[in-house]
This record gives sequence, structure tokens and C-alpha cells, in this order.
Amino acid sequence: MGQLIVNGLALGSIYALVALGLLMIFNTVQIVNFAQGQLLMLGAFIGISSAVTQELPIAIAWIVTMAAMALIGIVFMVLVYLPLRGRSPFLVILTTISMGIVLENLALIIWGPLPVSLPSPVHGAPLRFAGVVISMHQAFTFATLIVVLTLQFLLLTRTRFGILMQATAQDLRTARLVGIPVQRTIAVAFASGAVLSGIAGLLVAPTYLAEPTMGGSLGLKAFVVSVIGGFGSLPGAVIGGLSLGLIETFGARYISSNFRDAYAFIIMIGVLIAWPRGLFGEKTSEKV
Amino acid sequence: MSPAAILQARGVTRRFGGLVALDHIDLDIPRGIVQSVIGPNGSGKTTLINALSGASPADAGSIQLDSREISGLKPHRIAQLGLARTFQNIRLFANLNVLENVKVAAGCRSAESLFGIVTGNRNHRRTETAIDEAAREALHTVGLIHRADDAADQLPYAQQRLLEIARAIATKPRILLLDEPAAGMNMTESLALLETISRLKSTGITVLLVEHNVRFVMDISDRVAVLDFGKKIADGSPAEVQSNALVIEAYLGRRRRHA
Amino acid sequence: MRISPYLALVAAGALSIPLLTHDNYVIQLLNIAILNAIVVLGLNYTTGWTGQINFGQAAFYGLGAYSTALATKFGLPWIAASFSAILVVALASLVLGLPTLRLRTHYLAMTTIGFAEIVRLIIVHWEPVTGGTSGLRDIPGIDLLGWHPQGQIQHYYIMIAVLALAVVVAARIRHSTVGRAMIATKDSEIAAEQSGVDTLRMKLLAFMIGAIYAGIAGCLYASSIRFISPDSFSGTQAVFLMTMLIVGGMGSIPGCVAGALALTILPEALRFLGQWYLVLYGLGVIGIIALLPGGLASVISVRKLRWGHPQ
Repeated sequence: MGQLIVNGLALGSIYALVALGLLMIFNTVQIVNFAQGQLLMLGAFIGISSAVTQELPIAIAWIVTMAAMALIGIVFMVLVYLPLRGRSPFLVILTTISMGIVLENLALIIWGPLPVSLPSPVHGAPLRFAGVVISMHQAFTFATLIVVLTLQFLLLTRTRFGILMQATAQDLRTARLVGIPVQRTIAVAFASGAVLSGIAGLLVAPTYLAEPTMGGSLGLKAFVVSVIGGFGSLPGAVIGGLSLGLIETFGARYISSNFRDAYAFIIMIGVLIAWPRGLFGEKTSEKV
Repeated sequence: MSPAAILQARGVTRRFGGLVALDHIDLDIPRGIVQSVIGPNGSGKTTLINALSGASPADAGSIQLDSREISGLKPHRIAQLGLARTFQNIRLFANLNVLENVKVAAGCRSAESLFGIVTGNRNHRRTETAIDEAAREALHTVGLIHRADDAADQLPYAQQRLLEIARAIATKPRILLLDEPAAGMNMTESLALLETISRLKSTGITVLLVEHNVRFVMDISDRVAVLDFGKKIADGSPAEVQSNALVIEAYLGRRRRHA
Repeated sequence: MRISPYLALVAAGALSIPLLTHDNYVIQLLNIAILNAIVVLGLNYTTGWTGQINFGQAAFYGLGAYSTALATKFGLPWIAASFSAILVVALASLVLGLPTLRLRTHYLAMTTIGFAEIVRLIIVHWEPVTGGTSGLRDIPGIDLLGWHPQGQIQHYYIMIAVLALAVVVAARIRHSTVGRAMIATKDSEIAAEQSGVDTLRMKLLAFMIGAIYAGIAGCLYASSIRFISPDSFSGTQAVFLMTMLIVGGMGSIPGCVAGALALTILPEALRFLGQWYLVLYGLGVIGIIALLPGGLASVISVRKLRWGHPQ
């Protein structure tokens, strides 16, 4: 039981990280990025190329990956967001899905279809209390989530950027009129969103291996997490992510492991039927 | 209630968070007249139309259309029962042409079976002909019949407003709610619009005209109600309202100071 | 109904293709393209006209195929099997459609993706019945009152007939109170309601008709290819169906058919590109969305091809 909780929370931390990346982009430009999972996959493979193929020290590999992801985030913005400003959400959704297809197949061309592993940045004997084993990598995953969450919270609430981001989200045109560097704010949002996914990828690869097709279901789960936790809410993303990790782990153990991937969707559909705009709703409202 | 009132509102209230956008509005609109509702920006005029038409229902109060309670009904039911409206910020169907825009409304009470549609049986053809005639007649009334086959979003602004009116009257309403129909029109277009409104009145449609521009409504209106901060502060003949001290202070006076 | 010369030309061309080639591979590819066209015409009701994002269309397609396969394998006569398959799909569309009527944009997208994923997981893991990932083989063929069509060409004519029917029904509905009300619902839900349109009813109706189109195509797929596996009805397939609709031109009936044919045949023609094909596919879709919002239908003026347009 205790072990299941630890494993569930470790998995959930990864969902939470992807959801936090989704949130950075959503909170600034109100776009749901359906390619967020593919960004995670890219993070994992860039990490593997740096650490395994190029034999860089793992810490350097992490830094290289994060820098590369920031760049990819900006390229993503230029290709996907800029040409579609002000178009219907449906077309934006389809564009991000298409971008996911592009990234996944590029990865297949570059890295091939076989699953590969990435070493964890931490080593050492697992921690044990009361019969529960916490591997060093799991502990590192929790620690990373806490650090990321704290940094993101400070960024959004205590810095100029956070205020700029909120202003951009609320009214893009006015934000531009009052001289907010809208383009740069959005670029930072996309870059940091991609970096967060990349970190999740670096954390997934040591436990679950990396393969080019891994992004699809992880990205969808980040969305489910956002629905459970409420779109755009920082604590919501974390609570939603951890709960989903627990639900899947317990569901796989006590109900059926074949349907492990279905639990997320069943819960999401249930939540949406009861609350069509998510558990905590979105801030945006429609004018009649 | 007076038997002649076609629309009767009692205590209609609408809140947005802490803001009371409509505060216990009572309104009696006698059959066959042009009733105007005026008020400064943000006084609750559009909120009133939204509440009456069911687009954004009231939180409290009763609304009766021809003695039938309509508050709480879905907007399409209210439309079918005979209350039509236009929108201040134009909402046409961009993927339909001008005639089809009106046909949507003209078909609002025809229950066609899919079977009839697919087989194209006589009942279906009869319905389509009736809808086509009704839609063309509505376009004719507002003077847009020559644009019937054009794309709705290619019309000039003033004609888009007229198309909104054509669409609304194609539902064969008992009462028509016009939300700032003259906004963005020039003098000639506004005058033509006034003529259209009196023509509608002469065909027996009751009109509720919401306007920002006081001068525009005074000549055509039989009665004028004034809203300010969500409250009705006056209701009467145009002359009575114009001489009402509250109105002058709250609305006309303020306008003069700004001018 | 007026039949334009363009349309007659297209019909004559379609009917004479089997005279020009006897290559079974080509005809088989065309058969699949035609089935995709039927599915996309169905998607056009939901997404093209009523404006609901629906990534569940491939699941309805699969549900139709699996129901037909199971019913005919069980021994039901083909006609009865296909009707029961269509009934299953219609019921499934109610199950998904009713509770999701009020959802919008990304919420609706995710719910339909989730529905498709649940259907896929059931197909993959309910192995004794569905055959799991290896699928079902030796599905009984079409039996139309004792006539058993043989070979690709006979099947081709059946598909063409069903496609023609699907197009005629779509064109009739488009130019009726129902079709106009659907498009009005997409363009402005609130204006449609205030014009007396029951928008929730329209959304549900569009969802059901669209699913039934997919169910019919799925039924034909199972009974003509006679082998089905979950891959043909995956979430990726749902995305491809959606891109056929967008590339062809949302809302345009000839656009749907052209988009489905083009994007089914193109991958085969570009096979030499290997994995690069999907990279270019994705970039191509992004390019079309950004540069050509009306799809192919807006470039080639196919307006004249519209059926039954009252003039």
C-alpha cells in the first residue's frame, strides 16, 4: 500500500510537470498545446543524445537539454502560434496536433523506433522506511517537482514577467497598447513551457525508457490533469497530477492493468459532464 | 395586468458578481406600440434585452409574453412563442448567404422530418416553398431583396443591421426587440431605418427599441422608459420623459455636460 | 434537382475507372478512399456544419466495422448484421453525444479523444471477442439478397453507389431547415437560438447522422476487406479524417470527397518518402490551415458542383 502510494506519486509528479508546462502556455495565450507530450519526448531524446551518445556528464546533459528545449519552444511559437493568432480554437488545436505528428516522426527518423534508457542524475542506495522503498530517482523526481513549482510560483507572482504574462492573457491588444513587450512575454511562456516538458522527459526516461511514440498519451494526460485540477491553476496542476498518478497506480493494481490508460479519460469525461468548463472553471467568460 | 400589454416584466433582476446590472425592472408594453428604452452606456439596456429574450436569463422576476410566463424558457422556445431580437454587435451566419440567413428564422416553427427532407416529398417541398416566400418577404420589408444571393458577411455595415432585422421579423414575432439598430449608421440610413420601424409597427408588430441616441427615438416612440445604473427611473410618453427632472439629471444633463 | 454538366462528368469518370485499370491494388485503394469519403462526409455534419470538434469519428467507423464482423461471424444474415451494426453506432453516438452537448473547444476535443481511446482499449484488450491487436479475419462478405459481389471491381461499384447516396442525402439536408440550422448553430449559437433553432437538438442530430455515416462505412469496410484490426480505426486515423475535412474545405460536400480521395491516395503515391511523408504531411496541414482557411474547396471553385442548389 505505502509502496503503491510512493510509486503513484512519482508517476504523478511527472504528469504534474507536463501539466505545469501546458499551463505556462495556456495562461499567456489561452492555447491548449496538444503537442506538449511530444515536447516531453524530445526532451528525453536530447538528454539521451547528450548523455549516452555524446557521453557528456549527466549534469551537463541536463543543461544542454533545457537550453535546447527553450529554443525549440520559441521555434514552436513561430511555427504554430504566430500564423494562427486570432483564428478559431479548433484550427489551433488541429495545428498543435499536426505539430505533434511532425515532431514524433522526426524523432523516429533521427532516433529510430526502439526504446532507449537514460541514466538518472542521482545514484545511491534507495531510502527505506517502514517497508516502503523510495529509489533515489523517485526522491529526485519529487525534489525537482518542488523546486520547479516554487520557481514557477515566484516567477508568476513575484516578478515583472508574471505581471506581464497576466496582462497579456487578459487583453492582448491593450497589453500591446500600453507598451508591454507582448511578443517577448509570449516567447518566454513558450520557451519555459517547453523546458518544463523537457525536464519531465529527462525524469521519465530513466524509469520508463524513451521512445518516439511516448508523447501522445503523456500529453493527453497532462490535459486530463489540467481538467481535474482546473485550467490555469498552479496548485491545481500539481494536485491533479499527483491524484492521476495515484489513480492509475491503484487502478492498475486493484482493477485492471490493461485499462490503466483508460482511467484518466473516464475521470476526465466524468468531470466534464458534471462541470463543462472543468472542476474550477476558466476565468474567461463569454459575452452575449 | 392590462389586457392590452403584450409583454409584462415584473421585478426582473440580473446580477454579475457584486454588480446589480438590472434592479427589479417592471415594464408593461402595450400591444402595437413602439416602446423605447434609453439610458447611458452601461445602464443595463442590453442586459434587459438578454434577460427578456432568454439569452442571458434574469436571476429573479417574472416575464410574460401575451400572458404566458416565458422566464426560464430556452431562447429558441421564446423565439418560437413570438419574441424576436437583433444584436447590438451584429451576429449573422457567416457561412450562409443573405437569403439563407433569413430562412433559418423563417423555418423556426416548421417541424420537418428527416425522411421528408431526404426523399424530397411533397410535404417537404411545400414547407421549403413557404419558407422561401416568407424569407423573401422579410428581405423585401427591409429593402434587401436585391442582395438575397450574396454572402452575409460581404454586406456593408448598415445592410448587415437590416439583415439582422429581416432575420428577426422572419420568425413572425409578436414583439421585436431591437438592440441599438442605428449604431454605426449615417443620417440617411438612420432615417430609412426609422421608416422601416414605422412600417413594422403598421403591420401590427410591437417594437421594443433600445437606443443610446435619445433624439433618434423621440419622434418614433409611443412610450419611453429610461434606465440608469440598472434601475428604471422614468417611463411615459416622450414628452413626459423629456421633462422629467430625474432623467435630465441622470441622462440628458450628463450628456450635455460631456458635450 | 438540377444535375450540372460538371457533376455528370465526375460521375461518368468515376463509373469508367474500372474500365481503365484492372490493377486490383489501385481499385482496392480507391475503395478505401471512397469509404474514407463517406466517413468524412459524416464528420462534416458534426464539425463542418455544426462546428463541434469530433475526434471520435474513427471510433464510430471501427465500431461499425467490429459490430458487422461480429454479427456476421455469429451467423446473422448480412442485411440484419449491417442494420444492427448501424444501430450500435447510433446508440454509441447518443452515449457520447448527449452528455457532451454543452462542451466546447479543447474540452470537446479531449472528450472525443478519450472516448476513442476507451473504445480502442476495449477492442485491444477484449481479445476473445475482438481478436485483440491481431484483429479479426475471414469476415463473411456482402450478401445482397443472394448476390455475393466478387472481386474489387464489383465492390467498387457498391462503394460508389453508397457514396453517391451519401452525397445526395448530405446535399438534401444542407438545403433544408435542418442543414441551415446546423450551419447557423456553428456560426453563432446564440443568434441561432434567438432565431428559433434548438441548437442542442441540432448538435445531437449532427453527431448521430455523422456517426451513422461512419457506421455504414465501417460495415462496408469489414465486409469488403474481410479483415479488420484496431490500427485502421485509431486516434491517428481520427486526426487524418479531420485533416481530410480541413484540407478539402470544411462544410463543402465536394470538398469532403476531394479531401478524402486526395489524402488517401497521396500517401501511397509518396511511399518512397518513408517516414518523411508524415513529417511533410504534418507541415502541409499546418501550411494549409495557416494559408488556405477554406481548404481546397476555396481554391478550385467547386461551387458549381453543388447539388440541388435552388436557383
